Amino acid sequence: MINTTHTIALAGNPNTGKSTVFNALTGLDQHVGNWPGKTVEKKEGRWKYNGSEYRIIDLPGAYSLSSFSMEEIITRDFILEEKPDLVVVVVDAANLERNLYLAVQILEAEVNVILALNMSDIAAARGIDIDVSHLSEVLGVPVTPMAARKGQGLDDLKQVIADALNSTKNGGSHHQ
Amino acid sequence: MTASTNTFDNTPFVIDYGPDLEDAISQLQERIEATPKLTQRYPARWLAIKLLEEDNIVSANVAGISGGAEILTIASQYIANLRSKYGEDVDTLIADRRYSWINHLVREIIRQGGADEPTTSDKIDQIVTNRWLGVPIFMLAMWAVFKLTTDVSAPYLDWITDVIGGPISNWALALLALVELENSWVASLVVEGVLAGVGGVLVFVPVLMSLFLALALLEDSGYMSRAAYVMDRLMRMVGLHGKAFVPLVVGFGCNVPAIYATRTLENRRDRILTGLLAPFMSCGARLPVYVLFATVFFPAYSSLAVFAMYLLGILVAVLIGLVLKNTLFKTSETTGMIMELPPYRLPTIRNVWSSMWQRTKGFLHGAATIILLTSIVVWALMAVPVGGEGAFADTDIDSSLFSRVSDLVTPVFKPLGFGSWEASGALISGFVAKEVVVSTLGQVYNVGGPDKVLEPTTFLEDVVSIVTSFAQATIDTFKSIPLILGIDLFGDEAQDAPSELMTAIRTGFEASSGGRGALAGLAFMVFVLLYTPCMAVVAAQRQEFGAKWMWTSVIGQFVIAWLVAFAVFQGGLILGI
Repeated sequence: MINTTHTIALAGNPNTGKSTVFNALTGLDQHVGNWPGKTVEKKEGRWKYNGSEYRIIDLPGAYSLSSFSMEEIITRDFILEEKPDLVVVVVDAANLERNLYLAVQILEAEVNVILALNMSDIAAARGIDIDVSHLSEVLGVPVTPMAARKGQGLDDLKQVIADALNSTKNGGSHHQ
Repeated sequence: MTASTNTFDNTPFVIDYGPDLEDAISQLQERIEATPKLTQRYPARWLAIKLLEEDNIVSANVAGISGGAEILTIASQYIANLRSKYGEDVDTLIADRRYSWINHLVREIIRQGGADEPTTSDKIDQIVTNRWLGVPIFMLAMWAVFKLTTDVSAPYLDWITDVIGGPISNWALALLALVELENSWVASLVVEGVLAGVGGVLVFVPVLMSLFLALALLEDSGYMSRAAYVMDRLMRMVGLHGKAFVPLVVGFGCNVPAIYATRTLENRRDRILTGLLAPFMSCGARLPVYVLFATVFFPAYSSLAVFAMYLLGILVAVLIGLVLKNTLFKTSETTGMIMELPPYRLPTIRNVWSSMWQRTKGFLHGAATIILLTSIVVWALMAVPVGGEGAFADTDIDSSLFSRVSDLVTPVFKPLGFGSWEASGALISGFVAKEVVVSTLGQVYNVGGPDKVLEPTTFLEDVVSIVTSFAQATIDTFKSIPLILGIDLFGDEAQDAPSELMTAIRTGFEASSGGRGALAGLAFMVFVLLYTPCMAVVAAQRQEFGAKWMWTSVIGQFVIAWLVAFAVFQGGLILGI
């Protein structure tokens, strides 16, 4: 499993802690530039886990996959054209309903998705109790609760990502 | 925490859009699946939905593929039928269905405990974004930021000055002595050009680090969004979107990222207008100039004088904004504001550090390239003798090439009270970067440098003194922290005995202003605030808005700076201040 470079994209609404997850995975191994021909920041990094190396792209924060803003277009084009091996959709557990609007559209694009249920601690503090396994069942994707700012659930997320990539490698993927 | 299944469902994810929409989707999907060029590029069902949503980018792509036009025709028939049946655009129908699907899902999976109870975040917002309290709280926050940058960093600032002026200069000269260059022009270049220039920049790293720390805390805690929200009404008066406040606030750190931050605005008009106003936000690099001049001319009120510069920058930006709103930018109105207020969060060390470090690194990068170069160019100009007096690197500064070049522009600044070649020279190098204004003044007034008598010390003594003085600086910094919250506006801020540079500046400004040194010093501070911040900003403006707007900004700022400084000096003379 050495030197398999999978591409993982991080997607999500603004203010969901996407950057915190990106920083946690890549550490200082990041490169910040611009999307070609666009005036939107592109963050790319490398993440090493269990002897494998992964390329991580932090997509710009977007609320939808329509073509109303540069951020949405970049996110959509990357997912459809670059066909990342996995899209980790970071959602704010405390604002789940609004955040799912983007997540659902990414799922409709028929890519492999993991839902990172970030800020679970804040949701819990507000008395929001989420049935994670039911959510996972309905969406048909792995769902991992986490609190990235406190470093909680990051290990789970890493493991889920690795497992998911292994299962797509062995099982059927959505690629033609 | 519980995790879910770690594998993917193999059946594709599908939302049921209801019989009418599903019929249209499946018909289109069938056509799409018969067109391999389309299925290579898009998932068929996804594409069918996008076509019904009338997504213009996707539709244009489909139109370019053979067979695509036919599919688009079919799509438009379905769109027309659905629109006449439901009386709504199909993209609205689809969005509605998606939202209700999600709403249904969320009801199933969420059990909400204390449902409508306001969160802590809401409670804080009731106060912080209050109609009357919002702006005063914002001003208090800004005040705390400036106390943090001026007071907390001060001990480190002194420490760096001492280390570079003492041990490091000593070591450089000692190394040059090994190759018998200690009395040559090389020694002059190293100590007066390189060390004076870059050292003069490093001195302000503590100031900028504490400023960037403060900005990172504001951003990471979520307060920055509130500041933008609170300032929305004010921003609209100058014809800007509330979101434009963020680049402007970033401008207080550095104008260069502020120019790039205008990218977050949706339309070009807002971006350019914000980009023209951002340079009036007083950046961290201008702060050392204010601190120096305020200490020289207004020792009792130095914090207030510095704060006044920041306020003046905002005031000028507001006025210019009003003028531009009603002239050059009259045509279009700003778009409505949608702004998210993320919940307040405790800033994490990692995010704060990363933001602070990246910005400081950017500053140091600039320091290493542009500023070192400028410092060397200025040194070289000063080293070249004019009129046969002295030799290279051994000439009086007032008979150097630099003084002649600066002299050419001096008449422009006469009416402002600082028509001396020293002040003009500092402003010339300040056009390249504000960080060098202070170091150029150090050079033109010929203070410091190798002529200074340095006590002979051993290497070990040097190292020990560097470490112990750093520890003392740290202690002093912690001692100063409680004072940040102290309302010490007019308190005792007496400085140490004036350094050589301060004495030289006072003498020089008194001479050029006919004895009204303080007034001329104030006019100089105002000029530094308002004219072009640095070459990097000019480059950024050119890149973002084009050469035309870049020149508008450069020339406009010079004229405004001159007029306001003129008003300050001449007005002061008339009022007899």
